[in-house]
This record gives sequence, C-alpha cells and structure tokens, in this order.
Amino acid sequence: MSNPYQPIPATILETHDETPNIRTFKLKPEREIPFLAGQFVELTVPGYGEAPFTPSSSHFKRDTFDMTIMKVGRATSALFDLKPGDRVGARGPFGQRYPLEKFEGKDIYIVGGGVGLAPLRALFLALVHEIGKYQRIFLRYGARTPADIVYKHLLPEWQKIPKVDIDLSVDVSDEKWMKKVGVVTCLMDEIPCDEKSSIAVVCGPPIMMKFVNQKLLDAGFQGGDIYLSMETNMSCGVGQCRHCRLGPYLTCKDGPVLTWDQIKDLENPFV
Amino acid sequence: MGTYLLPKSSIHLWLSKLLSRYAVFVPIEVEKQIHWHLLEPKDLETEPDSITPAQRRIRASEPVKSFMFEPRQQVASFPDALTFKQPGPRVLLGIKSCDLAALKVHDKILGEGEFKDPFYLAQRKNTLLVVADCPEPEQSCFCNLLGLTPYAAEGGDAALSVVDGNWLLDVNESGKELVDAAPELFTDLREGSSELARRDEQRHAALVSLNLTNARPWNPDLAGAVAAKLDDPAFWNKHAETCVECFGCLMGCPTCYCFLLYDQAKGAGVERTRTWDACYEAAYARVGGGANPRAEFIKRFANRFSCKFSAFKTDHGMYACTGCGRCFKACMGKIDIRKVLGEL
Repeated sequence: MSNPYQPIPATILETHDETPNIRTFKLKPEREIPFLAGQFVELTVPGYGEAPFTPSSSHFKRDTFDMTIMKVGRATSALFDLKPGDRVGARGPFGQRYPLEKFEGKDIYIVGGGVGLAPLRALFLALVHEIGKYQRIFLRYGARTPADIVYKHLLPEWQKIPKVDIDLSVDVSDEKWMKKVGVVTCLMDEIPCDEKSSIAVVCGPPIMMKFVNQKLLDAGFQGGDIYLSMETNMSCGVGQCRHCRLGPYLTCKDGPVLTWDQIKDLENPFV
Repeated sequence: MGTYLLPKSSIHLWLSKLLSRYAVFVPIEVEKQIHWHLLEPKDLETEPDSITPAQRRIRASEPVKSFMFEPRQQVASFPDALTFKQPGPRVLLGIKSCDLAALKVHDKILGEGEFKDPFYLAQRKNTLLVVADCPEPEQSCFCNLLGLTPYAAEGGDAALSVVDGNWLLDVNESGKELVDAAPELFTDLREGSSELARRDEQRHAALVSLNLTNARPWNPDLAGAVAAKLDDPAFWNKHAETCVECFGCLMGCPTCYCFLLYDQAKGAGVERTRTWDACYEAAYARVGGGANPRAEFIKRFANRFSCKFSAFKTDHGMYACTGCGRCFKACMGKIDIRKVLGEL
C-alpha cells in the first residue's frame, strides 16, 4: 500500500525571480506527479516542513512542473535559500481539478491578485492549449506595484494569443505605468462577456476575492459558475488531518477550488 | 462462531497460551484508574486471578485508538523513503463497546477513504479485539445516549463477559484463533444455560443503570441542532466559560483523529512525524500568510461540537462520539458534554 505522507524527491532545475519576494521554481520530480489544473502538491523543504502549492505550469507537460511561490514563512524562506540542483520533496496531486468540460464553449473570465496568478497560470495554459474548445479568455490581474507583477516576461506573449484579452492594474503606479491604477475590481466595471453563461475563476488574497466575487455576482454571474481558490491550512492533503476544514468541506479534498454556490452559506468564507 | 465458558481456574492458563502467540494487552487498575498493561508471564504467577477484576470496570483512561493511531509516529523520511515495518500480532483483551465504536470513526477516516493510512491499517489488521462487558457503568458513562450498549452488540473478534468469576466468550469467526490457542480449556455454552441467563441479567442491569444516569435523550436531530447553534456565540460562551484550553478533552477522546505532520532534520535527511493534534489549538487553522478562520477560542470550541455531532454525522452517518466520558473526566473546568448537548 502506498504511503500518502511520503514525498518523492524533486530537483530544482532553475529559478526565476518574478518580484522581490516571489520566485518561480522549475522542479523535476523523480516520478511524474499527474496533476491537473487546480490540483495542488505538498512541497517539502527538507528540514523545514511542508506547505501546499498549486503547480503554475501546464498539465499537458508534467515531466517538470513550475511552482511560483511567495516568501512568507519559515518553509518558504528556507526554500528561497535553495539553488538549482538542490532537492525538495513533493507529494500529490491532491484536491479537485477545474472541471474544464463545463468551461467548453464558454467565455472564461479569470481574475487574479498578486501571487494568486500562480495557480491561474496552470489553468490559463491548459485553456490555451486547447483554445478551440473555449470562446474567449479574459485575464484581469492586479498587483500592488508594477514591480510586484508576476510573469512580467510572459504577459506580452499571452496577449498575442488569439481569443485572449488581458488587462492589468496596480494599486500604486510608477512613472512608466501606462495601464489602470486601482485595485483589480477597477478592471471589472465593464465585463465584456455574457455573464449569465460565462465562467469566472478567481484567485488572490481573501479580501480581494471577497470584493471580486461580489462584483461578479452584481454583474450577473451565476454562483455555480464562479470558481474561488480557498486558502485554508491544507496539511495532510488527503482529507484526514482536518486542519483545512471549511464548513462542511475539507479544502484539501473537496477544493481547494470551490464555487460560490458551495460556500455562500458559510459564516465568513473569506477570512 | 460459538459461545464458550472459560472457568476461572483456566483463565491464567489461557492467557499464558496467548502470550506465546501474541503481545497481549489487558486493563489493570492503578490507583483506582484503569490503564492498559502489556501482559507479562509474571503477571500470571499470582493467584487468585489478577486479571478479572479490571475487566469488569469501565474503559481504560487511554483510548484504544492509541494502539492503531499512535500519539506520535514516524510516517515518512526524506530523501530515502521510510521502510515500512510490519507490526507483530496483538490482542487487546478488554476493550469496551465505546472504544470499539470509536475505532469505526478511525476506520472511516484512515482506512476507507481514497487515501488509506498504511500504518493504521497494519495495526488494525494485526490486532484482535476482545470486547468486555461493562457491568458497572459509572456516572461519567453515556454510551446509551449515542445508541450504544455497555457490551458488544456487534463487531470485535470476541466478546467477554465475567459471570461469577468465570469468563464467557462469544467468539466471531475472526476471533476463532483465540480459542484455538487452547481449545481444551473451553466448554461450549448452549442457549438457555444458566451462565448465559446470568450474563443477560448483568447486561440488562447495566443498561438500566445507564438509562437512569442519562435519562433524558438528546434532540433526535442533534446534527441539525448543533449546526443551527453555530451562529449563536452566547450559547457556546456560556458553556465554554470554565474552559482553560488544556486540550485534555481532545487528547483523551477516542474518536478525535486530527493530526499534525512535522519534519525534523535527522542526520543528512529528514524525519516526518505524525502527532495527535487538537482543534482547540490557536494556530490549528492558521495559514502560512497568517489568516486564521478560527482565531477566537469560542469558534474553536463550537467547531469541536460541529465536527463531532454535525459534520461527521452528515459525512459518515454516525456521531464522532461514543459516550465514554473521558472528556468530562479530564476536564478541569468540569464541562460536561452531556449538558451542552442536552440544551440543544
């Protein structure tokens, strides 16, 4: 019987600094981890512990995978001290994937905030890989400052993809910034898709998700069509340890992506 | 499979036969409390029978889950994967109906889901469970409120009743090997025998006693009643007033299965340990970025009830409580779970 707590070694192939405190790690696991967009992996930083992250690369190429990670605590700080060639541990995939079959033939309206664009990138790349199956893909992304934008080098390439429409905002601009200034909801005053039959996907800080979700509902999106990445303390990843409990859900098993219809009756889902 | 009589004069002999095949754990009394004890040959040298009296008492202080879901256990290592060691065969002789029911909770979480816990399952499969009657339930016992009986109604590998110092064993197919260890010591008991009649009287008396202690049933829709109370902080505040957050109720609970995984450097590698955790712990639900959905204690207090009596019932069709009373006995603030639930 396999041991669900046992990580497999994964080698850091390269790293890319996205912002002063966000870095993308390209990892090569000893065995392929068969994740699908939306699922997550528990990453072990040897000697410092484990934390859950959603791969940010396409599930159509899984011999290596990317993880874009913000330095916030003990394990991630130790991870930032590692170099290409060093080994980490990985186990997964865990949780539910985005139900892409339900997205087919529809406009997909993706809203990200800060490092929240990391898991959305896996979704975005899966969508553009089979772009013919979907109507249009809108990506709305907000960061604190221009320096805090992740995937700066990739965004211009993504914008060139047919049927893809990207817009960005920053809370605080600099002298070179030519786009909107304000929190990400300032990009949502006009939503150029049919809200009643479109899919919205949101990932970012809880407070951002709260307001984006409200804006989507006000615009007419259906609660079952709004997919939200819920941040709870996912520790075991296998629905046992119970740290990630969110009302009737265990985020690690039922999520981490849940629809607004699933969580709307919870006392305060966006803590 | 069959019902047998083991006369008091043969109890030690049988146990010594078991010792040659299994690690045998029995409850013993230490300063009025019952604790588990790994039986040794020297324990069987004394006469009269030293093992029987504790069998009549209520459950041991330590929940039976400790044997399958260890309080602290290494579950992985890195970079070299942990080598799995198959545990040896064991007999837990004298678990109680409440602890047997509690194992069902662990079976659901660790043994039956998409991801199975190999450590738990190995221990579970290698352990024979002999469920002893509780002829003398105490004031802290309330298994009757959970639909259980103070004796094994079903499950386990064998049921043990002490009648006039002799042992009556109801043995299931899975427990046949226990009798096979020394078949010459057992005699078949037929239906209608006086020993079985005495056992049934004892069992009935125990139920009557429990029903007197816990006379008022809970709300039949306890799951719904708990869920409906979650947004009433005044209710939970009233009951949590004397809680000192010692976690004694959770550590003693036979159904609590929350755990924490933590890593420690060991030589050039890493050891991953699983340890019991407590949902009352302030940092229990806190995420890496610092957000905490249950930062206030009262939310964690209510969460415990919601988990045991609402979520588990909804998800698995049973309450994650078996009426053992350990939480109440451990509580420095004298919070009686029956009182909390009785007001719903």
